[in-house]
Amino acid sequence: MSQLPKPDRDQLRAKYPDVFDRPAETRLATPAMIVGAFAVFVFGLVNLDFSPARLWSGLSQLGWITLMMIPPDPGSSLPAYLSALGETLSIAVLGTTVAAVLALPVSLLAARNIIPSQLLRFPVRRAFDSIRGVDTLIWALVWINVVGLGPFAGVLAIAVADFGAFGKLFSEAIEAADKKQVEGIRASGGTALHEIRFGLMPQVLPVIAGQVLYFIESNTRSATIIGIVGAGGIGLQLAEQIRVLEWQKVSFLILMILVAVAAIDWISGKLRFAIIGQRAIA
Amino acid sequence: MLVVEGLTCRFGTKAAVDNASFSIAPGSFVGVIGRSGAGKSTLLRMINRLAEPSEGRILFEGVDVTALRGKELRQWRARSAMIFQQFNLVGRLDVLTNVLMGRLAEIPSWRSLTQLWPDEDRALAMSALEQFDMAAIAAQRADQLSGGQQQRVAIARALVQEPDIILADEPIASLDPRNTRIVMDALLRINKHFGITVICNLHSLDLARNYCDRLIGMAAGRVVFDGAPEMLTDRIARELYDLEASDVMGTAPAQTPDGATVPAAA
Repeated sequence: MSQLPKPDRDQLRAKYPDVFDRPAETRLATPAMIVGAFAVFVFGLVNLDFSPARLWSGLSQLGWITLMMIPPDPGSSLPAYLSALGETLSIAVLGTTVAAVLALPVSLLAARNIIPSQLLRFPVRRAFDSIRGVDTLIWALVWINVVGLGPFAGVLAIAVADFGAFGKLFSEAIEAADKKQVEGIRASGGTALHEIRFGLMPQVLPVIAGQVLYFIESNTRSATIIGIVGAGGIGLQLAEQIRVLEWQKVSFLILMILVAVAAIDWISGKLRFAIIGQRAIA
Repeated sequence: MLVVEGLTCRFGTKAAVDNASFSIAPGSFVGVIGRSGAGKSTLLRMINRLAEPSEGRILFEGVDVTALRGKELRQWRARSAMIFQQFNLVGRLDVLTNVLMGRLAEIPSWRSLTQLWPDEDRALAMSALEQFDMAAIAAQRADQLSGGQQQRVAIARALVQEPDIILADEPIASLDPRNTRIVMDALLRINKHFGITVICNLHSLDLARNYCDRLIGMAAGRVVFDGAPEMLTDRIARELYDLEASDVMGTAPAQTPDGATVPAAA
Protein backbone atom coordinates (compact mmCIF):
# COMPACT_ATOMS: atom_id res chain seq x y z
CA MET A 1 0.00 0.00 0.00
CA SER A 2 1.45 3.31 -1.04
CA GLN A 3 1.42 6.26 1.29
CA LEU A 4 1.93 9.93 0.84
CA PRO A 5 5.39 10.90 2.02
CA LYS A 6 5.24 12.55 5.42
CA PRO A 7 4.72 16.24 4.70
CA ASP A 8 7.44 18.64 5.72
CA ARG A 9 5.23 21.16 7.40
CA ASP A 10 7.85 23.84 7.95
CA GLN A 11 8.98 23.73 4.34
CA LEU A 12 5.42 23.93 3.03
CA ARG A 13 4.63 26.77 5.40
CA ALA A 14 7.63 28.69 4.09
CA LYS A 15 6.59 27.97 0.51
CA TYR A 16 2.88 28.87 0.78
CA PRO A 17 2.65 31.34 3.67
CA ASP A 18 -0.83 32.51 2.64
CA VAL A 19 -2.31 29.04 3.17
CA PHE A 20 -1.06 28.66 6.71
CA ASP A 21 -1.08 32.19 8.06
CA ARG A 22 -4.06 33.82 6.45
CA PRO A 23 -3.81 37.57 6.91
CA ALA A 24 -6.18 39.03 9.49
CA GLU A 25 -8.16 40.90 6.80
CA THR A 26 -9.22 37.75 4.94
CA ARG A 27 -9.99 35.84 8.13
CA LEU A 28 -12.19 38.63 9.50
CA ALA A 29 -13.83 39.76 6.27
CA THR A 30 -16.89 37.50 6.36
CA PRO A 31 -17.79 37.95 10.06
CA ALA A 32 -17.25 41.69 9.74
CA MET A 33 -19.59 41.84 6.78
CA ILE A 34 -22.30 39.87 8.61
CA VAL A 35 -22.04 42.11 11.69
CA GLY A 36 -22.06 45.20 9.48
CA ALA A 37 -25.13 44.10 7.51
CA PHE A 38 -26.98 43.30 10.76
CA ALA A 39 -26.10 46.72 12.17
CA VAL A 40 -27.49 48.43 9.05
CA PHE A 41 -30.68 46.35 9.37
CA VAL A 42 -31.17 47.31 13.03
CA PHE A 43 -30.40 50.96 12.33
CA GLY A 44 -33.01 50.91 9.56
CA LEU A 45 -35.68 49.43 11.82
CA VAL A 46 -35.02 52.00 14.58
CA ASN A 47 -34.94 54.84 12.08
CA LEU A 48 -38.28 53.84 10.55
CA ASP A 49 -40.05 53.70 13.94
CA PHE A 50 -40.39 49.96 14.00
CA SER A 51 -42.36 49.04 17.06
CA PRO A 52 -43.42 45.48 17.89
CA ALA A 53 -45.96 46.83 20.35
CA ARG A 54 -47.80 48.79 17.67
CA LEU A 55 -47.74 45.81 15.31
CA TRP A 56 -49.17 43.61 18.07
CA SER A 57 -51.99 45.97 18.93
CA GLY A 58 -52.72 46.46 15.23
CA LEU A 59 -52.94 42.72 14.61
CA SER A 60 -56.35 42.48 16.23
CA GLN A 61 -57.48 45.29 13.89
CA LEU A 62 -56.22 43.27 10.89
CA GLY A 63 -58.13 40.21 12.07
CA TRP A 64 -61.26 42.29 12.51
CA ILE A 65 -60.91 43.74 8.96
CA THR A 66 -60.52 40.26 7.56
CA LEU A 67 -63.70 39.13 9.32
CA MET A 68 -65.54 42.16 7.99
CA MET A 69 -64.49 41.22 4.45
CA ILE A 70 -66.38 37.92 4.54
CA PRO A 71 -68.36 37.29 2.46
CA PRO A 72 -67.19 39.47 -0.47
CA ASP A 73 -70.21 41.36 -1.73
CA PRO A 74 -70.45 44.05 -4.41
CA GLY A 75 -73.76 45.32 -3.09
CA SER A 76 -75.60 47.05 -5.93
CA SER A 77 -72.45 48.41 -7.63
CA LEU A 78 -71.45 45.37 -9.69
CA PRO A 79 -72.09 47.06 -13.09
CA ALA A 80 -70.02 50.07 -12.03
CA TYR A 81 -67.19 47.78 -10.87
CA LEU A 82 -67.19 45.81 -14.11
CA SER A 83 -66.97 48.94 -16.20
CA ALA A 84 -64.16 50.21 -13.94
CA LEU A 85 -62.30 46.93 -14.40
CA GLY A 86 -62.74 47.26 -18.17
CA GLU A 87 -61.34 50.76 -17.93
CA THR A 88 -58.28 49.51 -16.04
CA LEU A 89 -57.65 46.79 -18.61
CA SER A 90 -57.95 49.31 -21.45
CA ILE A 91 -55.49 51.64 -19.72
CA ALA A 92 -53.00 48.77 -19.44
CA VAL A 93 -53.40 47.48 -23.01
CA LEU A 94 -53.51 50.90 -24.69
CA GLY A 95 -50.64 52.32 -22.64
CA THR A 96 -48.40 49.31 -23.25
CA THR A 97 -49.19 49.16 -26.97
CA VAL A 98 -48.50 52.86 -27.48
CA ALA A 99 -45.22 52.50 -25.57
CA ALA A 100 -44.12 49.47 -27.64
CA VAL A 101 -45.03 51.01 -31.01
CA LEU A 102 -43.13 54.19 -30.21
CA ALA A 103 -40.15 52.44 -28.59
CA LEU A 104 -39.44 49.95 -31.42
CA PRO A 105 -38.08 52.43 -34.00
CA VAL A 106 -36.25 54.49 -31.38
CA SER A 107 -34.67 51.38 -29.81
CA LEU A 108 -32.92 50.69 -33.14
CA LEU A 109 -31.02 53.94 -32.57
CA ALA A 110 -29.81 52.66 -29.20
CA ALA A 111 -28.51 49.29 -30.49
CA ARG A 112 -24.78 48.94 -31.02
CA ASN A 113 -25.11 46.71 -34.09
CA ILE A 114 -27.33 49.28 -35.85
CA ILE A 115 -25.65 52.51 -34.74
CA PRO A 116 -21.97 51.74 -34.15
CA SER A 117 -21.21 55.35 -33.16
CA GLN A 118 -21.10 55.74 -29.38
CA LEU A 119 -21.69 59.47 -29.85
CA LEU A 120 -25.09 58.92 -31.48
CA ARG A 121 -26.19 56.06 -29.25
CA PHE A 122 -25.32 57.76 -25.96
CA PRO A 123 -28.05 60.48 -25.96
CA VAL A 124 -30.75 57.95 -26.94
CA ARG A 125 -29.74 55.58 -24.15
CA ARG A 126 -29.59 58.37 -21.58
CA ALA A 127 -33.04 59.56 -22.71
CA PHE A 128 -34.44 56.06 -22.12
CA ASP A 129 -32.72 55.98 -18.71
CA SER A 130 -34.13 59.31 -17.55
CA ILE A 131 -37.67 58.49 -18.69
CA ARG A 132 -37.43 55.12 -16.97
CA GLY A 133 -36.00 56.71 -13.82
CA VAL A 134 -39.37 58.32 -13.07
CA ASP A 135 -41.96 55.79 -11.88
CA THR A 136 -45.34 55.25 -13.55
CA LEU A 137 -47.09 56.62 -10.45
CA ILE A 138 -45.23 59.91 -10.70
CA TRP A 139 -45.91 60.15 -14.43
CA ALA A 140 -49.60 59.63 -13.56
CA LEU A 141 -49.53 62.57 -11.11
CA VAL A 142 -47.86 64.70 -13.80
CA TRP A 143 -50.33 63.79 -16.55
CA ILE A 144 -53.35 64.27 -14.26
CA ASN A 145 -52.25 67.87 -13.90
CA VAL A 146 -51.79 68.20 -17.66
CA VAL A 147 -54.88 66.48 -19.10
CA GLY A 148 -57.09 66.25 -16.02
CA LEU A 149 -58.37 63.30 -13.97
CA GLY A 150 -59.39 60.12 -15.77
CA PRO A 151 -58.19 57.15 -17.80
CA PHE A 152 -56.51 59.27 -20.51
CA ALA A 153 -53.93 60.41 -17.96
CA GLY A 154 -53.45 56.75 -17.00
CA VAL A 155 -52.76 55.71 -20.60
CA LEU A 156 -50.25 58.52 -21.01
CA ALA A 157 -48.51 57.64 -17.74
CA ILE A 158 -48.03 53.98 -18.70
CA ALA A 159 -47.07 54.83 -22.28
CA VAL A 160 -44.34 57.24 -21.23
CA ALA A 161 -42.91 55.21 -18.36
CA ASP A 162 -42.78 51.99 -20.41
CA PHE A 163 -41.39 53.76 -23.46
CA GLY A 164 -38.19 54.07 -21.42
CA ALA A 165 -38.30 50.44 -20.29
CA PHE A 166 -39.09 49.05 -23.75
CA GLY A 167 -36.40 51.17 -25.36
CA LYS A 168 -33.80 49.52 -23.17
CA LEU A 169 -35.19 45.97 -23.47
CA PHE A 170 -35.75 46.14 -27.26
CA SER A 171 -32.30 47.57 -27.99
CA GLU A 172 -30.72 44.80 -25.91
CA ALA A 173 -32.74 42.16 -27.77
CA ILE A 174 -31.57 43.67 -31.06
CA GLU A 175 -27.95 43.62 -29.91
CA ALA A 176 -28.27 39.93 -29.04
CA ALA A 177 -29.44 39.00 -32.55
CA ASP A 178 -27.36 36.66 -34.71
CA LYS A 179 -25.02 38.61 -37.01
CA LYS A 180 -24.71 35.81 -39.58
CA GLN A 181 -28.33 36.06 -40.71
CA VAL A 182 -27.95 39.81 -41.26
CA GLU A 183 -24.74 39.20 -43.17
CA GLY A 184 -26.57 36.77 -45.46
CA ILE A 185 -28.96 39.58 -46.44
CA ARG A 186 -26.13 42.08 -46.93
CA ALA A 187 -24.14 39.68 -49.11
CA SER A 188 -27.19 39.23 -51.36
CA GLY A 189 -27.28 42.96 -52.04
CA GLY A 190 -29.90 44.14 -49.52
CA THR A 191 -30.09 47.72 -48.20
CA ALA A 192 -29.74 48.62 -44.51
CA LEU A 193 -33.54 48.62 -44.31
CA HIS A 194 -33.66 45.11 -45.78
CA GLU A 195 -31.09 43.96 -43.21
CA ILE A 196 -33.30 45.23 -40.38
CA ARG A 197 -36.59 43.99 -41.87
CA PHE A 198 -35.49 40.52 -42.99
CA GLY A 199 -32.29 39.86 -41.01
CA LEU A 200 -33.10 41.30 -37.57
CA MET A 201 -36.87 41.51 -37.13
CA PRO A 202 -37.64 37.79 -37.59
CA GLN A 203 -35.14 37.05 -34.81
CA VAL A 204 -36.17 39.88 -32.50
CA LEU A 205 -39.97 39.96 -32.81
CA PRO A 206 -40.71 36.86 -30.67
CA VAL A 207 -38.56 38.27 -27.86
CA ILE A 208 -40.24 41.65 -28.13
CA ALA A 209 -43.72 40.09 -28.23
CA GLY A 210 -42.98 38.17 -25.02
CA GLN A 211 -41.83 41.34 -23.29
CA VAL A 212 -44.87 43.34 -24.42
CA LEU A 213 -47.27 40.63 -23.23
CA TYR A 214 -45.59 40.50 -19.83
CA PHE A 215 -45.80 44.28 -19.53
CA ILE A 216 -49.54 44.23 -20.32
CA GLU A 217 -49.98 41.77 -17.48
CA SER A 218 -47.83 43.75 -15.06
CA ASN A 219 -49.46 47.03 -16.12
CA THR A 220 -52.88 45.71 -15.17
CA ARG A 221 -51.58 45.87 -11.61
CA SER A 222 -49.89 49.27 -12.17
CA ALA A 223 -53.11 50.62 -13.67
CA THR A 224 -54.89 49.71 -10.43
CA ILE A 225 -52.37 51.71 -8.41
CA ILE A 226 -52.42 54.77 -10.65
CA GLY A 227 -56.22 54.58 -10.51
CA ILE A 228 -55.96 55.29 -6.79
CA VAL A 229 -54.28 58.66 -7.43
CA GLY A 230 -57.06 59.60 -9.85
CA ALA A 231 -56.21 58.12 -13.24
CA GLY A 232 -59.51 56.24 -13.41
CA GLY A 233 -60.38 52.55 -13.38
CA ILE A 234 -60.88 50.03 -10.63
CA GLY A 235 -58.17 51.54 -8.39
CA LEU A 236 -60.34 54.60 -7.86
CA GLN A 237 -63.28 52.41 -6.69
CA LEU A 238 -60.95 50.45 -4.42
CA ALA A 239 -59.56 53.60 -2.77
CA GLU A 240 -63.07 54.98 -2.19
CA GLN A 241 -64.40 51.77 -0.60
CA ILE A 242 -61.37 51.58 1.72
CA ARG A 243 -61.99 55.18 2.78
CA VAL A 244 -65.64 54.53 3.66
CA LEU A 245 -64.72 51.18 5.32
CA GLU A 246 -66.95 49.04 3.06
CA TRP A 247 -64.79 45.96 3.60
CA GLN A 248 -67.05 43.49 1.83
CA LYS A 249 -66.87 45.59 -1.32
CA VAL A 250 -63.09 45.95 -0.92
CA SER A 251 -62.61 42.18 -0.79
CA PHE A 252 -64.86 41.75 -3.84
CA LEU A 253 -62.80 44.32 -5.78
CA ILE A 254 -59.55 42.58 -4.82
CA LEU A 255 -60.92 39.26 -6.02
CA MET A 256 -61.95 40.89 -9.33
CA ILE A 257 -58.40 42.18 -9.83
CA LEU A 258 -56.91 38.75 -9.04
CA VAL A 259 -59.19 37.03 -11.55
CA ALA A 260 -58.42 39.65 -14.23
CA VAL A 261 -54.64 39.31 -13.76
CA ALA A 262 -54.85 35.51 -13.87
CA ALA A 263 -56.96 35.66 -17.06
CA ILE A 264 -54.48 37.99 -18.74
CA ASP A 265 -51.59 35.76 -17.70
CA TRP A 266 -53.34 32.77 -19.30
CA ILE A 267 -54.17 34.65 -22.53
CA SER A 268 -50.68 36.10 -22.88
CA GLY A 269 -49.16 32.65 -22.43
CA LYS A 270 -51.29 31.32 -25.30
CA LEU A 271 -50.45 34.30 -27.50
CA ARG A 272 -46.74 34.01 -26.82
CA PHE A 273 -46.64 30.38 -27.86
CA ALA A 274 -48.64 31.20 -30.98
CA ILE A 275 -46.06 33.84 -31.93
CA ILE A 276 -42.83 31.98 -31.24
CA GLY A 277 -44.17 28.61 -32.41
CA GLN A 278 -44.36 25.49 -30.24
CA ARG A 279 -41.30 23.93 -31.81
CA ALA A 280 -38.88 26.50 -30.40
CA ILE A 281 -39.79 25.32 -26.88
CA ALA A 282 -39.93 21.58 -27.53
CA MET B 1 -12.53 38.56 -65.89
CA LEU B 2 -11.94 39.15 -62.19
CA VAL B 3 -8.60 40.86 -61.44
CA VAL B 4 -7.21 41.24 -57.92
CA GLU B 5 -4.27 43.65 -57.62
CA GLY B 6 -2.10 43.91 -54.51
CA LEU B 7 -5.09 43.26 -52.23
CA THR B 8 -4.28 43.68 -48.53
CA CYS B 9 -6.51 43.60 -45.47
CA ARG B 10 -5.15 44.53 -42.05
CA PHE B 11 -6.87 43.99 -38.70
CA GLY B 12 -4.81 46.19 -36.39
CA THR B 13 -1.16 45.45 -37.24
CA LYS B 14 -1.81 41.89 -38.45
CA ALA B 15 -2.32 41.47 -42.20
CA ALA B 16 -5.03 38.84 -42.77
CA VAL B 17 -4.46 39.08 -46.52
CA ASP B 18 -1.09 40.40 -47.67
CA ASN B 19 -0.57 41.78 -51.19
CA ALA B 20 -2.61 39.15 -53.07
CA SER B 21 -2.66 39.41 -56.87
CA PHE B 22 -4.26 37.10 -59.43
CA SER B 23 -6.85 37.10 -62.20
CA ILE B 24 -9.64 34.61 -62.80
CA ALA B 25 -11.15 33.84 -66.19
CA PRO B 26 -14.95 33.62 -66.53
CA GLY B 27 -16.37 30.13 -66.07
CA SER B 28 -13.52 28.67 -64.06
CA PHE B 29 -13.84 26.66 -60.85
CA VAL B 30 -11.10 27.93 -58.54
CA GLY B 31 -10.28 26.41 -55.19
CA VAL B 32 -8.59 28.50 -52.50
CA ILE B 33 -6.67 26.24 -50.14
CA GLY B 34 -4.61 26.75 -47.02
CA ARG B 35 -4.68 26.33 -43.25
CA SER B 36 -7.26 27.94 -40.97
CA GLY B 37 -6.28 31.56 -40.50
CA ALA B 38 -4.38 31.74 -43.81
CA GLY B 39 -6.70 34.53 -45.00
CA LYS B 40 -8.98 32.53 -47.33
CA SER B 41 -12.23 33.81 -45.79
CA THR B 42 -11.04 37.41 -45.66
CA LEU B 43 -10.07 37.21 -49.34
CA LEU B 44 -13.55 36.08 -50.38
CA ARG B 45 -15.27 38.52 -48.05
CA MET B 46 -13.25 41.39 -49.56
CA ILE B 47 -14.38 40.41 -53.06
CA ASN B 48 -18.03 40.63 -51.93
CA ARG B 49 -17.03 43.79 -49.96
CA LEU B 50 -18.20 42.36 -46.63
CA ALA B 51 -14.66 43.16 -45.50
CA GLU B 52 -13.00 46.44 -46.50
CA PRO B 53 -9.62 46.14 -48.23
CA SER B 54 -6.85 48.23 -46.65
CA GLU B 55 -4.89 48.42 -49.90
CA GLY B 56 -5.15 47.23 -53.47
CA ARG B 57 -7.95 46.95 -56.00
CA ILE B 58 -10.49 44.43 -57.26
CA LEU B 59 -11.53 44.86 -60.90
CA PHE B 60 -14.42 43.06 -62.55
CA GLU B 61 -14.76 43.53 -66.30
CA GLY B 62 -12.68 46.68 -65.96
CA VAL B 63 -14.84 48.23 -63.18
CA ASP B 64 -13.09 49.04 -59.91
CA VAL B 65 -15.27 47.13 -57.44
CA THR B 66 -13.42 48.51 -54.42
CA ALA B 67 -14.69 52.03 -55.18
CA LEU B 68 -18.40 51.16 -55.47
CA ARG B 69 -20.92 52.82 -53.15
CA GLY B 70 -24.67 52.65 -52.47
CA LYS B 71 -26.87 50.95 -55.05
CA GLU B 72 -23.93 49.99 -57.29
CA LEU B 73 -22.23 48.28 -54.35
CA ARG B 74 -25.40 46.32 -53.56
CA GLN B 75 -25.73 45.25 -57.16
CA TRP B 76 -22.12 44.07 -57.13
CA ARG B 77 -22.81 42.06 -54.01
CA ALA B 78 -25.71 40.40 -55.79
CA ARG B 79 -23.47 39.64 -58.80
CA SER B 80 -20.79 38.09 -56.57
CA ALA B 81 -22.98 35.78 -54.51
CA MET B 82 -21.63 34.52 -51.16
CA ILE B 83 -22.20 31.06 -49.74
CA PHE B 84 -21.21 30.72 -46.09
CA GLN B 85 -19.94 27.91 -43.90
CA GLN B 86 -22.81 28.47 -41.45
CA PHE B 87 -25.32 29.04 -44.33
CA ASN B 88 -26.39 32.47 -42.93
CA LEU B 89 -30.07 31.90 -43.60
CA VAL B 90 -32.67 33.74 -41.55
CA GLY B 91 -33.89 30.90 -39.35
CA ARG B 92 -37.37 32.19 -38.63
CA LEU B 93 -38.23 32.97 -42.26
CA ASP B 94 -39.56 30.26 -44.58
CA VAL B 95 -37.40 28.72 -47.29
CA LEU B 96 -39.03 30.63 -50.16
CA THR B 97 -38.54 34.02 -48.46
CA ASN B 98 -34.92 33.13 -47.75
CA VAL B 99 -34.38 32.41 -51.45
CA LEU B 100 -36.21 35.61 -52.40
CA MET B 101 -33.61 37.53 -50.35
CA GLY B 102 -31.41 36.97 -53.40
CA ARG B 103 -33.71 39.33 -55.35
CA LEU B 104 -33.43 42.28 -52.92
CA ALA B 105 -30.95 44.21 -55.04
CA GLU B 106 -33.28 44.09 -58.07
CA ILE B 107 -36.75 44.58 -56.58
CA PRO B 108 -37.94 48.07 -55.51
CA SER B 109 -37.76 48.37 -51.73
CA TRP B 110 -41.47 49.14 -51.26
CA ARG B 111 -42.27 45.76 -52.78
CA SER B 112 -39.69 43.71 -50.88
CA LEU B 113 -40.36 45.38 -47.51
CA THR B 114 -44.08 44.70 -47.83
CA GLN B 115 -43.31 41.20 -49.15
CA LEU B 116 -45.28 41.85 -52.36
CA TRP B 117 -42.84 39.80 -54.43
CA PRO B 118 -43.52 39.94 -58.19
CA ASP B 119 -44.70 36.63 -59.64
CA GLU B 120 -41.69 36.28 -61.93
CA ASP B 121 -39.38 36.51 -58.92
CA ARG B 122 -41.39 33.87 -57.05
CA ALA B 123 -41.15 31.69 -60.15
CA LEU B 124 -37.39 32.23 -60.33
CA ALA B 125 -37.02 31.27 -56.67
CA MET B 126 -39.16 28.15 -57.05
CA SER B 127 -37.26 26.99 -60.13
CA ALA B 128 -33.98 27.47 -58.25
CA LEU B 129 -35.36 25.34 -55.41
CA GLU B 130 -36.51 22.72 -57.92
CA GLN B 131 -32.93 22.47 -59.21
CA PHE B 132 -32.00 21.00 -55.85
CA ASP B 133 -35.22 19.03 -55.16
CA MET B 134 -36.23 21.49 -52.46
CA ALA B 135 -39.45 22.92 -53.95
CA ALA B 136 -41.63 20.71 -51.73
CA ILE B 137 -40.35 22.34 -48.54
CA ALA B 138 -40.59 25.95 -49.73
CA ALA B 139 -43.04 26.80 -46.94
CA GLN B 140 -40.96 25.33 -44.10
CA ARG B 141 -39.01 27.49 -41.71
CA ALA B 142 -35.30 27.49 -42.51
CA ASP B 143 -34.22 26.60 -38.98
CA GLN B 144 -36.15 23.31 -39.18
CA LEU B 145 -33.96 21.99 -42.01
CA SER B 146 -30.85 19.83 -41.79
CA GLY B 147 -27.47 21.37 -42.53
CA GLY B 148 -27.29 19.94 -46.04
CA GLN B 149 -30.77 21.23 -46.87
CA GLN B 150 -29.93 24.67 -45.46
CA GLN B 151 -26.82 24.89 -47.60
CA ARG B 152 -28.84 23.98 -50.70
CA VAL B 153 -31.32 26.76 -49.83
CA ALA B 154 -28.34 29.11 -49.53
CA ILE B 155 -27.11 28.01 -52.96
CA ALA B 156 -30.60 28.60 -54.38
CA ARG B 157 -30.51 32.09 -52.86
CA ALA B 158 -27.15 32.69 -54.52
CA LEU B 159 -28.49 31.38 -57.85
CA VAL B 160 -31.49 33.75 -57.99
CA GLN B 161 -29.08 36.65 -57.58
CA GLU B 162 -28.17 35.77 -61.19
CA PRO B 163 -24.53 36.14 -60.23
CA ASP B 164 -21.41 36.23 -62.40
CA ILE B 165 -19.34 34.76 -59.58
CA ILE B 166 -20.18 32.52 -56.64
CA LEU B 167 -17.92 32.93 -53.62
CA ALA B 168 -18.22 29.84 -51.45
CA ASP B 169 -16.55 30.23 -48.04
CA GLU B 170 -15.91 26.69 -46.72
CA PRO B 171 -19.37 25.61 -47.92
CA ILE B 172 -19.01 22.04 -46.73
CA ALA B 173 -17.13 22.48 -43.44
CA SER B 174 -20.32 21.99 -41.37
CA LEU B 175 -21.63 19.01 -43.38
CA ASP B 176 -21.36 15.22 -43.30
CA PRO B 177 -19.70 13.33 -46.21
CA ARG B 178 -22.94 12.63 -48.10
CA ASN B 179 -24.10 16.25 -47.96
CA THR B 180 -20.56 17.35 -48.80
CA ARG B 181 -20.88 15.53 -52.13
CA ILE B 182 -24.38 16.89 -52.79
CA VAL B 183 -23.30 20.48 -52.15
CA MET B 184 -20.03 20.23 -54.11
CA ASP B 185 -21.88 18.58 -57.02
CA ALA B 186 -24.44 21.39 -56.92
CA LEU B 187 -21.66 23.97 -57.18
CA LEU B 188 -20.05 22.05 -60.04
CA ARG B 189 -23.37 21.85 -61.86
CA ILE B 190 -23.92 25.60 -61.54
CA ASN B 191 -20.41 26.11 -62.86
CA LYS B 192 -20.77 23.83 -65.90
CA HIS B 193 -24.48 24.48 -66.61
CA PHE B 194 -24.71 28.24 -66.22
CA GLY B 195 -21.04 29.12 -66.75
CA ILE B 196 -20.92 30.93 -63.40
CA THR B 197 -17.39 31.36 -62.03
CA VAL B 198 -17.02 29.58 -58.69
CA ILE B 199 -14.35 30.54 -56.16
CA CYS B 200 -14.45 28.07 -53.32
CA ASN B 201 -12.51 28.01 -50.06
CA LEU B 202 -11.70 24.43 -49.15
CA HIS B 203 -9.90 22.78 -46.31
CA SER B 204 -9.67 19.34 -47.90
CA LEU B 205 -7.07 18.86 -50.64
CA ASP B 206 -8.83 15.74 -51.95
CA LEU B 207 -11.99 17.75 -52.70
CA ALA B 208 -9.96 20.60 -54.17
CA ARG B 209 -8.18 18.22 -56.56
CA ASN B 210 -11.44 16.52 -57.60
CA TYR B 211 -13.58 19.56 -58.28
CA CYS B 212 -11.35 22.52 -59.14
CA ASP B 213 -9.58 23.29 -62.38
CA ARG B 214 -7.24 25.74 -60.67
CA LEU B 215 -5.94 26.07 -57.12
CA ILE B 216 -4.74 29.13 -55.22
CA GLY B 217 -2.77 28.29 -52.11
CA MET B 218 -2.50 30.77 -49.25
CA ALA B 219 -0.25 30.82 -46.21
CA ALA B 220 -0.09 33.61 -43.62
CA GLY B 221 -2.11 35.93 -45.87
CA ARG B 222 0.11 35.53 -48.94
CA VAL B 223 -0.61 33.71 -52.19
CA VAL B 224 2.09 31.03 -52.26
CA PHE B 225 0.73 28.73 -54.98
CA ASP B 226 -1.30 29.36 -58.12
CA GLY B 227 -1.73 26.69 -60.74
CA ALA B 228 -3.46 23.54 -61.95
CA PRO B 229 -4.23 20.86 -59.34
CA GLU B 230 -1.69 18.50 -60.96
CA MET B 231 1.09 20.98 -60.21
CA LEU B 232 0.37 20.78 -56.49
CA THR B 233 2.99 18.28 -55.38
CA ASP B 234 3.05 16.67 -51.96
CA ARG B 235 6.05 18.83 -51.07
CA ILE B 236 4.14 22.07 -51.79
CA ALA B 237 1.10 20.74 -49.95
CA ARG B 238 3.27 19.98 -46.94
CA GLU B 239 4.60 23.53 -46.98
CA LEU B 240 1.07 24.91 -47.22
CA TYR B 241 -0.31 22.87 -44.40
CA ASP B 242 2.75 22.15 -42.24
CA LEU B 243 1.95 19.38 -39.79
CA GLU B 244 -1.68 19.19 -40.88
CA ALA B 245 -0.74 17.89 -44.34
CA SER B 246 -1.42 14.23 -43.60
CA ASP B 247 -4.91 15.10 -42.24
CA VAL B 248 -6.06 17.12 -45.22
CA MET B 249 -4.63 14.75 -47.83
CA GLY B 250 -6.59 11.88 -46.35
CA THR B 251 -3.57 9.58 -45.89
CA ALA B 252 -2.98 7.48 -42.79
CA PRO B 253 -1.16 9.14 -39.90
CA ALA B 254 2.58 8.52 -39.69
CA GLN B 255 3.57 5.29 -37.95
CA THR B 256 6.53 4.68 -35.72
CA PRO B 257 8.45 1.42 -36.26
CA ASP B 258 6.73 -0.38 -33.39
CA GLY B 259 3.30 0.53 -34.77
CA ALA B 260 2.26 3.14 -32.21
CA THR B 261 0.45 6.15 -33.72
CA VAL B 262 2.21 9.45 -33.35
CA PRO B 263 -0.24 12.12 -32.19
CA ALA B 264 -0.41 14.84 -34.83
CA ALA B 265 0.03 17.72 -32.43
CA ALA B 266 2.92 16.20 -30.45
